[in-house]
Amino acid sequence: MACLGALAAVPLARASEDVAGVGARVVGIAVVALVAALVLEWTALIPAALVLVGGLYAAQLAIDDAPLDTASPAFAAGLLVTAELAYWSLEERDHVQGEPGAGLRHAAFVAGLGVAALLVASVLLVLVDAVHTKGLTVDLLGAAAAAATMFAIVLVARGHGRTGH
Amino acid sequence: MVAALALIAALAFRRPELAIIAAPFALVLAIGTRLARDPKVTVEFVLATDRTMEETDVEARLIVRAEGSVDRLELLLDLPPGVDVADGADAHIVRLGAGDEREIPITLRCTSWGVYALGDVEVRARDPFRLVVWEERLSGRHQLKTYPRPISLRRILAPVETQAFTGHEVARVKGDGVEYADIRDFVPGDRVRSINWRASARRQTLVVNERHPERNTDVVLFIDSFVDVHGDDRSTLEDAVRAGSALATRYLERRDRVGLVGFGGVLRWLQPGMGLTQRYRLIETMLETGVEPTYTWRDVSLIPARILPPKALVLGLTPLVDPRFIAALADLRARGFDVAVVEVDPVPLVETGRTELDDLAYRLWVLEREVLRARLIALGIGIARWGDLDLETALEEVRTFRRYARLARV
Repeated sequence: MACLGALAAVPLARASEDVAGVGARVVGIAVVALVAALVLEWTALIPAALVLVGGLYAAQLAIDDAPLDTASPAFAAGLLVTAELAYWSLEERDHVQGEPGAGLRHAAFVAGLGVAALLVASVLLVLVDAVHTKGLTVDLLGAAAAAATMFAIVLVARGHGRTGH
Repeated sequence: MVAALALIAALAFRRPELAIIAAPFALVLAIGTRLARDPKVTVEFVLATDRTMEETDVEARLIVRAEGSVDRLELLLDLPPGVDVADGADAHIVRLGAGDEREIPITLRCTSWGVYALGDVEVRARDPFRLVVWEERLSGRHQLKTYPRPISLRRILAPVETQAFTGHEVARVKGDGVEYADIRDFVPGDRVRSINWRASARRQTLVVNERHPERNTDVVLFIDSFVDVHGDDRSTLEDAVRAGSALATRYLERRDRVGLVGFGGVLRWLQPGMGLTQRYRLIETMLETGVEPTYTWRDVSLIPARILPPKALVLGLTPLVDPRFIAALADLRARGFDVAVVEVDPVPLVETGRTELDDLAYRLWVLEREVLRARLIALGIGIARWGDLDLETALEEVRTFRRYARLARV
């Protein structure tokens, strides 16, 4: 909940007055969705809460026509860590005693994931910055790379779907 | 979903930051699904014993193996009603490396008697990214027979008539034995050691002692399995089997022959026999007793004749609810059998109801039961009401009744 609150604070703090008014309501809905997800164990509401906060961030950038946001890697890592922590919280609802040290190990895993996300997003931010300065060719290359990445992800996911459970 | 929406939004709003947000999610999805492998988990359930007593701990083990590594392996031992985990939980979470084997000790406790099938385990394995879940239900059928807990009985009901073999019951007939019966005039052939010298001196003629021989008896436990009245923590059938087990054990200790008839939807019987083997046979047959609903009328003519030997004591274990069983008791009594009843009292298990009408119905039902009891007593059937009192005290009622009641042929 704290992570979600901190993430929501980023667009709200930077938003103009009009966006902030609507944004506060969106954040309220996101918080309610996350609370419902955690209390009622409705896992489908976790991505909904994340999408709402992410949507607010996107809307703030688009409406206020902000320059390239250097905080986006931190926002991306925060969003991923929030999702991981929310799902972990639901896992712990099972009231089953795990092995000693399992909690610490998973906490380290989530922290590592957050750091890795921050690094990947930072590299991408640097690339985006470079694309902005190099013109249309690099722009097209970037679009092609993004399309290829999505295609690869779909292939991997479909391939696994045939053999997995 | 988050990654896909962020990428779409990035294109729609022309904001690269949103693509940057999508990237970690997409990478986690790609790497997670690529690295996920079925760990091929096998679980073996091992029970330390296949026989136990009620409320006694039984050691069991779950042996888990995995071909691949599992970050989080959730194991849920699916236990049937009546079996609980005595110490700890029925669910466990372990982490296994590739080729690892882990042994999880579990202490089980059976809260009521019965035959239980154990060993079903729900297995759920997750990859480190928690993206892929492998679920499986592994069945390892192990039978655990749980015998009823023993009930202490010092005195039991003695049948009116004894059988021909040596036992612990003092017979009403006269013969060789220990218990003094009477004196009579000496006749040629009487043993010298039987002569009562003091009485002979007083009468001026030879007089011999007569004694009661110790004989065994035949007892048939007649269990009502037509109906089972349930409460929160007990049921009449459970108590009937518990009492049956205790009575069978006590009679067999006295070298009596004990048989069994489970009279209900399914007719179960066991011919009277003696000894330890018969005890186990009886208890294991009783463990299979359950209520099989039936609407057909059943009477004692269904019971094979050899199961009910002449002069046997037929000991009914019943809540006296089903008219078919009550009719069978009356029928047996009419056929000349020595019949007694341990009434597993269902009245404390039935709630009085909330409305005045419910309360009236309850009171009428209790009165009807009183009438029924009086009718059976009039037929010469002693009834031990086993509810709040212990079984031995309840049996004492029947013993007193049988001491003063005359055996009548009806």
